[in-house]
Amino acid sequence: MLSDNCAPHTLIIGCGNLLRGDDAVGPLVIRHLWELGLPPGVRCADGGTGGMDVAFQMRGMQRVILVDACRSGAPPGTIFRTTGRKVEQLPPLTGINLHAFRWDHALAFAHWLLKEEYPQQIVVYLLEGASFELGDGVSPAVAAAQQRLVQLLWEEIQGVESRGDANLDG
Amino acid sequence: MSTATKTLDLRVSPLGRVEGDLDVNVRIEDGVVVDAWTEAAMFRGFEIILRGKDPQAGLIVTPRICGICGGSHLTKAVWALDTAWRTEVPPNAILVRNIAQACETLQSIPRWFYALFAIDLINKNYAKAPEYAEAVRRFAPFAGVGYEKGVTLSNKPVEIYAIFGGQWPHSSFMIPGGVMSAATLGDVTRSVAILDFWQREWLETSWLGCSIDRWLENQTWSDVLAWLDENAEQHNSDLGFFLRYSMAIGLDKFGRGFGSYLAMGTYWEPELYTHPTIEGRNAALIARSGVYQDGQFYDFDQANVREDTAHSFFEGASYLHPFDGRTEPVDPALGRKQGKYSWAKSPRYEIPGVGAKPLETGPLARQMIAGRPGAASHQTYDPLILNIVKEIGPSVMVRVLARMHEAAQYTRLVRKWLSELKLHEKFYIKPQELPEGRGFGATEAARGALADWIVLKDGKIENYQVITPTAWNIGPRDRNNVHGPMEEAFIGTPIADQSDPVELGHVARSFDSCLVCTVHAYDGKTGKALADLNVSGMC
Repeated sequence: MLSDNCAPHTLIIGCGNLLRGDDAVGPLVIRHLWELGLPPGVRCADGGTGGMDVAFQMRGMQRVILVDACRSGAPPGTIFRTTGRKVEQLPPLTGINLHAFRWDHALAFAHWLLKEEYPQQIVVYLLEGASFELGDGVSPAVAAAQQRLVQLLWEEIQGVESRGDANLDG
Repeated sequence: MSTATKTLDLRVSPLGRVEGDLDVNVRIEDGVVVDAWTEAAMFRGFEIILRGKDPQAGLIVTPRICGICGGSHLTKAVWALDTAWRTEVPPNAILVRNIAQACETLQSIPRWFYALFAIDLINKNYAKAPEYAEAVRRFAPFAGVGYEKGVTLSNKPVEIYAIFGGQWPHSSFMIPGGVMSAATLGDVTRSVAILDFWQREWLETSWLGCSIDRWLENQTWSDVLAWLDENAEQHNSDLGFFLRYSMAIGLDKFGRGFGSYLAMGTYWEPELYTHPTIEGRNAALIARSGVYQDGQFYDFDQANVREDTAHSFFEGASYLHPFDGRTEPVDPALGRKQGKYSWAKSPRYEIPGVGAKPLETGPLARQMIAGRPGAASHQTYDPLILNIVKEIGPSVMVRVLARMHEAAQYTRLVRKWLSELKLHEKFYIKPQELPEGRGFGATEAARGALADWIVLKDGKIENYQVITPTAWNIGPRDRNNVHGPMEEAFIGTPIADQSDPVELGHVARSFDSCLVCTVHAYDGKTGKALADLNVSGMC
């Protein structure tokens, strides 16, 4: 999904399974951004559950923004933003499974795969889900938060400095 | 902007988000596997999701079943709808579908070999083998020279897929009546360049040590043995080494299975399938369909497919054709009391005059059928694997070799199809959306035969059944208590070290099932647990 002819420098990747309730949020946000239209140099990609291929798509990008659902125990709809040190604490490559690839596995794998071409900046947005049941739609809390997440991403790609506490772990 | 307020705990629970888990229980007596049970641990209700939906919902939903073979799901889903709606599909669209399907399989071949299969070749149990150090040098995860090159270049074929499909995985660019993309000359030129690069850099230089033409000259096992010693490049290629090492550590001695095979075939001769029908499918195939049982070949007919639920967590002990198939789950606790033990159904094939048989599917099955005499001029005839099975029998090594052999076969086909596109002609013909109908679409995913059956009524999906290659291979016993193919393949496997039964990993991985697979080994006499082994991890 190339937004223009300008060489892309920023890639937004939405991960997750469209068929599993709130896990769909990553691909849904990508579709939403695509419909809004992206600024020059910004690409978006539906990573789905491809896992390893998310890492291949990062090649040559200066900045990568990953969007995924999560299940941490926080109230559903909570949006996490993380960058910098937190994103560098990657899981070991051992134990990665091609059939259960998570966003942090994708980053660990990309680090190995891309070496000096690994993106300079990684930002991860995670949206706390309520239900991940096969065949469910997105829960109301996540549907509401999805709009906010799109807004946050829109500001992020336009280089607006995040205000408030958004960057506290960066 | 005050919404993102929390520090992240990276230890979020893993989301088992794709296909679920497979537990394999194996009973070992006197160092040999005597029985096996494969238990798919997750209910997959795609059929229930699709019921009552728009006819085209299968094109969106089924490619999301799997993050690894989404293009194969799309391929069979679109052909199912093409047959139900009796569409016309222009030759260009058939070529593009062929190219996309083959490219997905081509990316899977090295990725599966290095990232999933070969890592067991450096298990410490083989430390005493003479070439162990060389195996580590090549196949160690992330560090081996073969691993690094094979995995790093494995995305090249799906770059071609993305040129035609917009993205990979999870594209929905194939639609009834054709494909959404109209290729340009630039697309074709780029695709040829990518294919050339991958063929040269990985397939010929690293894997084969020779040209694909030279490799494909091999027609018998003795040809392969002669090829191994023909020159240093071939002897020392990753394939040359794999064959020599496999014979040294005994991978040619177990993992046999029933020796009965099913291919539903894939790739369609453009001029022969512009008006797709269920009946006309076999004759239009390039990689043929067929069944092999007890030395005999049979034509494949989808009407002979059944799903047995005697040992599956579904209502009753039904034995139905997929058009009549039901997906009515039961509580596993209740099901276990009735002897049920898996969420997978047991697909069976009714061979006329023989009866219901469990059939292995996958590259070994495809290549057995490729050796069937009587191919039409547009169809692949390749006797190599059939000869090898007749000479030395099926095994883990032969199952792997069959898969890797396809890299050469399919690369050649993709190049041919790219050259046959007529860019000024149509890629899509708008179909009439019929409210009623039945469709069947099948293809060969990297890991085997994959098919959809769709029944339309009043413009909606009345019934939708998917049978995956994994179900064919890992399905449980049927009502006659006959094992599923993978269960059978475990039996007879010798286990050298019961605390680390790597041999079970070889067998399980050789099927490339799309489930996260854990093998539990039990002592047959005492019932004591011996070892647990996760066989789907990358390390």
